[in-house]
Amino acid sequence: MRNIYKLLSVCLVFTVVSCNDAIEIDQPGRLGADNAFQSVVDLKSGLLGAYDFLDTTSEIGYTSAVTDESFRGRDNGGQNSNTQNFNINSNNGYVFNIWTRNYGAIGMANRIIAAAETLDRAEDPDLYDHVVGQAYAIRAFSHFQILTYFSTDYTNDAALAGILLTEPTSDIFASVARSTNGEFYAQITSDLTTASSLINGTDADTSGVTFMGQDFITALRARMAAYRGQYAAADGFAASLLANYPIADQAQYFSMYDDADFTEVIFSLERATGDTYDDQGTSGTGYAGSLWAFIDATAGGGPFMEISRSTFNIMNGTSDVRLPRAVNLAESSIDPTYASNPNFLNDDVLIVWKYPGSNGQPLMNDLKIFRSAEMLLIRAEAAADANQLGVAAGFIKELRDARFGAPQPLPAYASQTEAFGGILDERRLELLFEGHRWVDLKRLGNRGNRAIDRDAKECSLLAGCTLGNDDFRFTLPIPLSETTANSAAEQNPGY
Amino acid sequence: MKVKNYVLVMVLFLLNTATMLAQEKTITGTVTSVVDALPLPGVSVIVKGTTRGAQTDFDGNYSIKASANETLVFSYVGNKTVEELVGNRSTINVALQEDVASLEEVVIEAYRTSTAEKSNIASTTITAKTVEARPNASFAQTLQGQVAGLNITTGNGQPGGDSQINLRGVSSLSGNTEPLFIIDGVPVDEDNFRSLNPNDIESLSVLKDAGATAIYGNRGANGVVLIKTKRGSYNSGLKINYIGTSSFSVLQNHDYNLMNSREELQLEKDFGSGFGATLSDAELAIRAQQTNTDWLDVFFGTGLTQSHTLNLSSGGENINSFTSFGYTDQEGILKKASTLKRFNFRSNINGKSSNDKFNYGTSFTFNYSESNEPNSIDGAAGTVNRNFVLGANQSLPYISPASYIPGEGANIPVVFANTPLFLLDRRDTYTRREDEIKIIANVNASYKITDNLTFRTSFGGDFTDEQLLRVEAPNSFNANLFALTGDNTPGFSDQDSRRSVALNFNNSLTWSKVFADKHSLEVSLFTEYFKAHRRSFGFRQLGFDPATFSPGDGAAFVDDNANDDFYVDTGRASVRDAGLFSYFGYVDYDYDSKYGFSATVRRDASYRFSASNRWGTFWSVAGRWNISNEAFMEDSIFDQLKLRASYGTTGNQRIIDVVGQFAYFAGPDLTENFFNTGAQYGGVNGLSVGQIGNNDLKWETIIQGNIGLDFALLSNRLRGSFDVYQRNTEDLFVSTPIAPSLNGGVTGINANVGELQNSGFDVELHYDLFKSKEEGGLNVTLNVVGNYNKQEIVSLGAGGDQPLTRRVGGVIGELFVAPYMGVNPANGNLLFLDIDGNLTEDITTNDQRATGKNIFPDYQGSFGLDADYKNFFFTAQFNYTIGVYRSDFDLQGYLDPSAIGQFRHSRDILRAWTQPGDITDIPSLNATNTSDEFLSDRNIRNSDYLRLRFIQFGYNVPKKVLDKIGFTSFRAFVSGENIVTWSKWRGFDAEALNPSQNRYPTPKTYSVGIEFGF
Repeated sequence: MRNIYKLLSVCLVFTVVSCNDAIEIDQPGRLGADNAFQSVVDLKSGLLGAYDFLDTTSEIGYTSAVTDESFRGRDNGGQNSNTQNFNINSNNGYVFNIWTRNYGAIGMANRIIAAAETLDRAEDPDLYDHVVGQAYAIRAFSHFQILTYFSTDYTNDAALAGILLTEPTSDIFASVARSTNGEFYAQITSDLTTASSLINGTDADTSGVTFMGQDFITALRARMAAYRGQYAAADGFAASLLANYPIADQAQYFSMYDDADFTEVIFSLERATGDTYDDQGTSGTGYAGSLWAFIDATAGGGPFMEISRSTFNIMNGTSDVRLPRAVNLAESSIDPTYASNPNFLNDDVLIVWKYPGSNGQPLMNDLKIFRSAEMLLIRAEAAADANQLGVAAGFIKELRDARFGAPQPLPAYASQTEAFGGILDERRLELLFEGHRWVDLKRLGNRGNRAIDRDAKECSLLAGCTLGNDDFRFTLPIPLSETTANSAAEQNPGY
Repeated sequence: MKVKNYVLVMVLFLLNTATMLAQEKTITGTVTSVVDALPLPGVSVIVKGTTRGAQTDFDGNYSIKASANETLVFSYVGNKTVEELVGNRSTINVALQEDVASLEEVVIEAYRTSTAEKSNIASTTITAKTVEARPNASFAQTLQGQVAGLNITTGNGQPGGDSQINLRGVSSLSGNTEPLFIIDGVPVDEDNFRSLNPNDIESLSVLKDAGATAIYGNRGANGVVLIKTKRGSYNSGLKINYIGTSSFSVLQNHDYNLMNSREELQLEKDFGSGFGATLSDAELAIRAQQTNTDWLDVFFGTGLTQSHTLNLSSGGENINSFTSFGYTDQEGILKKASTLKRFNFRSNINGKSSNDKFNYGTSFTFNYSESNEPNSIDGAAGTVNRNFVLGANQSLPYISPASYIPGEGANIPVVFANTPLFLLDRRDTYTRREDEIKIIANVNASYKITDNLTFRTSFGGDFTDEQLLRVEAPNSFNANLFALTGDNTPGFSDQDSRRSVALNFNNSLTWSKVFADKHSLEVSLFTEYFKAHRRSFGFRQLGFDPATFSPGDGAAFVDDNANDDFYVDTGRASVRDAGLFSYFGYVDYDYDSKYGFSATVRRDASYRFSASNRWGTFWSVAGRWNISNEAFMEDSIFDQLKLRASYGTTGNQRIIDVVGQFAYFAGPDLTENFFNTGAQYGGVNGLSVGQIGNNDLKWETIIQGNIGLDFALLSNRLRGSFDVYQRNTEDLFVSTPIAPSLNGGVTGINANVGELQNSGFDVELHYDLFKSKEEGGLNVTLNVVGNYNKQEIVSLGAGGDQPLTRRVGGVIGELFVAPYMGVNPANGNLLFLDIDGNLTEDITTNDQRATGKNIFPDYQGSFGLDADYKNFFFTAQFNYTIGVYRSDFDLQGYLDPSAIGQFRHSRDILRAWTQPGDITDIPSLNATNTSDEFLSDRNIRNSDYLRLRFIQFGYNVPKKVLDKIGFTSFRAFVSGENIVTWSKWRGFDAEALNPSQNRYPTPKTYSVGIEFGF
């Protein structure tokens, strides 16, 4: 029995000695937050993480579904039904994504800016400034996106925007109230100034049309000024960009959406194989093209959203290059009698072709954020605002000439209202499926006497044809998950 | 059998030389129970006045040497002792009668056993008889309705599929809520029983109250299920037992009133959408005549199952063994896509020293299973190209299966109406197979250091190796659908190897002594060490050459090349470790079998909280009063009456509830902040925020009080127990909302806030309606098992109510909806009640309100009867649940006007509103506010049910016949599972813990089986 005692002793010793190895376990492959940023190169890695949050597919998808850009397609299995019927709730998926993607980017930018202060700039001053400057630019852009979608009135500095955040969160459970547009504009302006002073680096990995450079900053300044109604400034910024970014011709325009031509691209978000968005995303945060089709932009590609008849009808039969770019004409079934065909959902199939795919991946394309055409249209707005109706008409003609590939008649605007109406009509076609229509109707709809304009046939299947430009749904609700946790965040009116 | 007897004779010969001279003979026989005529194993057979003895084996047989003038004494716990003079007999068969006075049922408790009389805890034990020969691949399904308070829900028809198991309510909001399962001393993964053979189980004990579970500390929060597998017995000959069953399973019925081909086409024509809308009346009639497919019959069918288990047991003086082989081949009701094949081997050995001081035992089981388990069903309700059940439920009847040409999947036109064809193709071309090796092994030993002091040690492991293969063939619809432009050899192969081993090492010292005959005291001290390791790796290969393609084989793999990135493969791997360390002890005191008291305390450390609150202490006290042992009860009708009470704490360190196996590795270091590396913007490697840590995390603590009554009365004809309990979960893990703006888009973090209460009662009753004194008479026992449980969220911490998610005073998973009030006769739109109680057509999230309803039952349990007469036996068990509300999205789909032309409908839709003044329950097909229905209770249905869960009828071949053919037992039976369900629920399966939408229902199963031993 001696042996048994020995065995027992071994057992006891083992249990007591080895207990720590059971309860002190460091899982492998963990990078503690304290060790994340140790060099300027780490800042650059983090910058890629901040850019990765930027995604406008939710803005694009929401705009496309809620306005007159698209209508339920043949293979719709309930997608966008709420949004199409103007049923916008605080738990809407698009709303949630717009909020969280942008705050993800802001959070990451703030971490980079804060971490940079702990690092030695002298290690690589060129890269340091270039990276930190872009972090400021990202923060400015995302704050502006938040303001755009969640503020009731861009021209009112006292209206509420979103949560203004300029440093990493120290208390994850905190409640923070919304700031005003005025505070947002001031911070964005300041961030853009800082960004402009820093972004001059030579790092090829973080430069080019898919990274935020000086022209991005100017373009954002132009858009923000236009939204605020500060048209003199807007016109100046837009004009300076147009000097370097001409309006594309028909061929350039067409291949721009194959990600093969960058003539008029000031900034776009790159989408590549293996990135976060390399997946189907029928309600955003995936391939942009999968906002309309399940598989690809062909007849057999499962079109669940199609171009709306009202928008299609404007271009149908013209030589406007925007028609074949908006609609895959070869794969579509166009039923001229759709208005009287009860089975038009199956017989009249208009396939969206603006995001055909790239790198062999159907539906995956870069997201155009700023193009020179928008700058030209900002100039037209500025002219209309200054009551220079002929100048405004001239800018519109310049764009139409390029799109039609032949000189077009000069529009004749008899009033400011007509001019803004004409500008809105042009923006509707030019910026189709790029996430502008809803914002444009919100800010200019009344000035141009335009509203959501759906085809009568489509209206018959929807809760409503249009929505007043002053309707509360032209401001998004603060997402439920935000108001649940952040008791200080005031909900927008109507929700 | 000759050899066996010879060996036994030799053993006895050597041991009993002296009596050999007195002309001993060998007496054999069988000991049975008067109650049910079943053999009694473990009956002690002693030659009166000597130390010679034997035990009956598993089949009640014994063999002993005795001479004619000696007397054999048969004794067995809970039965009257019988003495038989040997005389000139060589076979003595004895039927033992239950001894009411000394009913001493063995109660298995944590780390020890007790008797029914001396146990202080609330527990229920189920025996092999209940679990054996049932056609459920996972024993958890069989347990359903057998134990009061144990709510088992299987929402999945996959053979061996995982069941959700909750004891006395759901005790956590975001943590693990399933009991700890311990098989032969080894804690095992509670989500994976598919590889284990239920026929090996000897007993299953469910420990419920704190008195029973506190000693499991931070693993005992949700109760403990102790499973013991069968073992041999000492001094018994070789016994062979066989159990075989054949079963067939079919889909349960639905009540959706679904359209046929003609009706569906007519609906499309009338509505003006879909194929029907393009047909003339004559064309429509022809099509309807040509094709009328019920896709339920195409995708679902009869699943055949065969199962065989062969046991061998034998025992010598100091060693015994039990060996079992099992083979099961089961088909799920989803044709061609859902199977389980498994092979089981078990070897359990006991040994002891001849002075009985040293005992040891091993339990070892090796299991191999192959499952074809279709995925994209649970949680992927609407994927038309992947979910077979969607194909069965929703496909249009005018589409013919003949339209699918095998091998031509890539050419199926992509419209929803072709959904069944996509899925037929997937069934032919997609492989999803899980091969699993599961080993559970344990070695334990005990040594009696002195008469009062015993040392025990137990070391065991649960090993799982799973190989997962998922392959999409190059010519399949799906591979081509999502192929990159220009990729002519698409398809993927995912192969994953996942391996886990969990080791448990327990040492204890027990001191026990009886003082002055009446005071018994037992004290035990333990240490326990638990460590688990999980390793996994895998890859995704893209591209196959169809010429050499075979799922799982690499010959067809197409490599990456310089021209494109079509075939860039990806690899993956993960390493995770888990560990716990504890020391604990108990004290148990009994006074004269009248009063008892026990206490436990356990100190526990978990690896999960190494950076925050590593150690926790859990404790319990329990006491009893055996009222029936008091003198004043002597003439009462009670044979047994015992009052129990316990109070104590347990913990839950499994803070993240991951459904499925390997769950105990989830959330290993939630206390820490991490960054992730990996593909960022443009697919370039970079850095991003990972986990936001909560450095204040700790276990949930469950404080449970229990008062129970165990009773037996009317000469033991009415037996049962009644328990009331209250379980409060403090430091409740709740996914606490955090502002996504401040936290980079993250909306919640797990934190210990809030408190949850479950309270209710368990009741278990057995009544012998007929109890025959003679063998072969009529015996009928009625059984009732029930539980009532009330949930209430007591607190949600400083944050308070979480809109549309949970509220203080509410229940878990509460439904927040606006009442649906029917159809507006004026315009056919849906009507709802807004938050102010006004009728409206337009509701928002602000109108959604708490209902107090959820998917967990208030009442659940079973009732039934066991009967036998002559050699026939009969069992029936009805299960019920009350208070279950569940969304029926299948019905929603059948009534969805926007799916006309795409999917199948219910005839109910023909009642739709068409003109002003129509009073109907179905809105206009053009109603403009249908999307509001999801904010309302329109699709929420009561899913209470009463189900004939199990019925069995069988025949035991009489002893006389058996003796002639050389068998010790032989029975044959037919049985059925889920035979009839009474419910307002219209779907296939009223039972599930999820909304129903194209899920895999559990089947109805009929079986025939035989069991024999020799």
